[in-house]
Amino acid sequence: MYKYNHFIPLSVYSVKNKDIIPDQWYNIIPDLPEPLSPPRDHDPERSSIDLLNRILPSEVLKQEFTSRRYENIPEEVLRQYEQAGRPTPLIRASNLEKFLNFAGKIFYKYEGATVTGSHKINAAIPQAYYAAQEGVTEIATETGAGQWGTATALSASLNGIKSKIFMVNVSFRQKPLRKRIIEIYGGDVVASPSSLTHYGRQILKNEPDHPGTLGIAISEAVQYTLDNGIRYLMGSVENSVITYQSIIGQEAQKQLEIEGEEPDVLIGCVGGGSNFSGFVFPFMKTDVEMIASAASEVPKFSKGKYRYDLIDTAGILPQLKMISLGADYVPPPIYSGGLRYHGAAPALSMLVNSGRIRTDEVTEEKSREAMQIFARTQGIVPAPESAHAIATAIDYCKNPENTGKTVVMNVSGHGLLDLSIFGD
Amino acid sequence: MKLALYFTFPYPSGETFNKFLNRTMPLNYEYVELGIPTEHPYYDGPVIRKTHGRAREEFSMELLKDTVQTIRETGKKAYALVYCNLFENDADGFMSSMKDAGFNGMILPDLLTDYYSMRRSIASTVSSHGLELIPFFNSTTPDSVIKEILSLTHSWIYFGLQPSTGIRVPLDIQSMYGRIRNLCGEREIIVGFGINNAGIIRDLRKVGFDGIAVGSALIDSMEKNDTVAFDSEIKMLESETHG
Repeated sequence: MYKYNHFIPLSVYSVKNKDIIPDQWYNIIPDLPEPLSPPRDHDPERSSIDLLNRILPSEVLKQEFTSRRYENIPEEVLRQYEQAGRPTPLIRASNLEKFLNFAGKIFYKYEGATVTGSHKINAAIPQAYYAAQEGVTEIATETGAGQWGTATALSASLNGIKSKIFMVNVSFRQKPLRKRIIEIYGGDVVASPSSLTHYGRQILKNEPDHPGTLGIAISEAVQYTLDNGIRYLMGSVENSVITYQSIIGQEAQKQLEIEGEEPDVLIGCVGGGSNFSGFVFPFMKTDVEMIASAASEVPKFSKGKYRYDLIDTAGILPQLKMISLGADYVPPPIYSGGLRYHGAAPALSMLVNSGRIRTDEVTEEKSREAMQIFARTQGIVPAPESAHAIATAIDYCKNPENTGKTVVMNVSGHGLLDLSIFGD
Repeated sequence: MKLALYFTFPYPSGETFNKFLNRTMPLNYEYVELGIPTEHPYYDGPVIRKTHGRAREEFSMELLKDTVQTIRETGKKAYALVYCNLFENDADGFMSSMKDAGFNGMILPDLLTDYYSMRRSIASTVSSHGLELIPFFNSTTPDSVIKEILSLTHSWIYFGLQPSTGIRVPLDIQSMYGRIRNLCGEREIIVGFGINNAGIIRDLRKVGFDGIAVGSALIDSMEKNDTVAFDSEIKMLESETHG
C-alpha cells in the first residue's frame, strides 16, 4: 500500500510500535575508533567533574561515564516514549525525488511527529524520569530555539515535577509561541540573560539588551540548579544525551530493514550534535556515508578548532574536547536557534576530525528555500534547523555522482512554530 | 589483592616525602607509583593537581634515583607516572633517564588521549629501554584500542575507575569490571581513582579486580605532616588488600 501513498509511515501497516522502538539505548563510546579525550577541569582549585554530582540526576551521571554498549530503557520511559509519538515514521520522500528528478531514493526519519514536534523529547523523558525517581521536585535547563525547553517542560509534567527554562533572549523575542507552549506544558520560562542568577545579572549590567547565547543560558540554568539544590537536564553535547537520542537511528535501522533498504548516505543537521549523532551512530559499524549539516552563520566545522573548550560560558561545567568556535563566541541572531551553539558533541567532533563524518554548512537563505521545497513537495514544514539537512540532501541529490543512491535524512523537527522566518 | 601506592614526587618536600615513603616500606604491598611533576596534570583531580606545583620546585634526579633504589631494595616494583608532555621532544632521552633511575616501568595517563597518534612509537621507545609500559585504560577507552594496546604490552593493567583522580561519581562497577575483564583476559587489573574507603575496596575485590591504586587519600596527612593519620590510612589499605 505504501508504494502509492508515501505520506503514510512505512511502518504502520504490519508492524507494532514495540517492534520498532528499541528496548535499549546504544552508547557508541566502546566502538569509537579512538579514545575520547576525557573531560577536564577548568579551575585548578576545584573539580567541575565532581560538581556534576550536585547538578545531574545520579542515574544520568552514571550513564554519562558508563562503558556499557547498551543501556536498558526503563519500562516507564518506553511507555512515555510511545505516548510521545514513538516510533516516529520513516517516510519515502517520493515527491521530493520527483521534484529533483532524482533517480535514487530519498527517505526521511520524521522526528517532527513527536508530540512536542522534535527529537528533543527523546532525551528529556529519561532525564526527567530519573530525576523524579530520585525524589527531585524541580529541574532546570536552557533552550535555544525553544524545542528543548518544550520537551523538558512536558517531560517534567509527565513525571510530576516542575521545570525552569532559561530561553536565549533572541529566541525568546523571536518565538513568542514557543514561550507560550512551554508554559502550556507547565514550564516556567525566562529570557536569558536573566536577573535570576548572578551570572545573568552581571551580563545585563553591562549590556541590558544582550541577545543571549546558548552558552550563557546553560551557565544560568546550571547556576540556578546549584543555587536551588535541584537538578539540571542536558539538551545536547554530553554523551548520555547522544545515547538517549540513539533511539532515532535504531528505529531507522529497523524501519529500513523492514523495507529492505540499505542507506548510502545519512544526513542530519548539527547544533550541539544530539539529533545527528543519535541518528547516525547506530549505523557507525557500516560503511554508510554520513554528512553533518551546520549553519554557515555559525561556521563551527569550517572555522572551529578541535580543542578543549568550555561547555558553558561561565565555566561551571567541565571542559570537553570538541570542535568549537570558542565558548565566548556570540553567534549572529539567525532563526535556527538550535544551530547557534559554539561547539559540537565530543564523539561527533572526533569523527568529523578523523574524516569519518563529512560536513556541510548551509546559509539561512538556502535553508529557507529548502523549507519551502520540502513543504510544497512533502507537505511538511520542517524546522529551520532541519531544513539545513534537507538543503544538504538536495545538493547531494543534484550531484550527478550520487545518481541512484539511497539517501536517508533526519528531519529533526517541524517548523510550524517558526513560520515568522518567512516574515510577518 | 595487590596494592599500589601513588605519591607525587617529591611532595610536599624531599625530606617529608622520604619520611612518609619510608613508613610504608616495611608494609606488605606490591607497587609504588611515583608521579613525575608536570605543569599541567590535566587528568588528575584538584587534590593531586595541587601537589605537582610544589613537587616541581623540589624535584631532582638525584633524589629520584635514591628513592627508586630504596623502593626496589624492598622488593617492590617502582613505576613512573608521567604525562607525555614531559618528554614529547625527547622520548628516547627521557626513557633512558627513567631506566637509569631504576624504574620498572611507565604509566602514561594521556598516551591514549592527547598522544594517541604517537602511541606505537612511544610504546616502542619505552620497551626499547627495558621498561614495562603499563596500559592505562578507563571506561571510555574503546574496545579496539584496548585490544591493540594489550597486543603491544605484557604487564599488568591500570584501570581508571573514575573520570579523574580523587573524585567519585556514581558508577556501575560490576558492568565496568565485566567489560574490562572480558577484554583483558587473565592479565592483572589494578584499579585506581576515587578509592578512599574500605567499603569501596571490598566492592572492588568482590567483583574481581586484582588490586587497587591509591593516591589522593594519602595527600592530606602528608600535607599536615600527620604520621598518625597516614599510618592509619595505609594500614587500613594493607589490611583490606592483604589481610
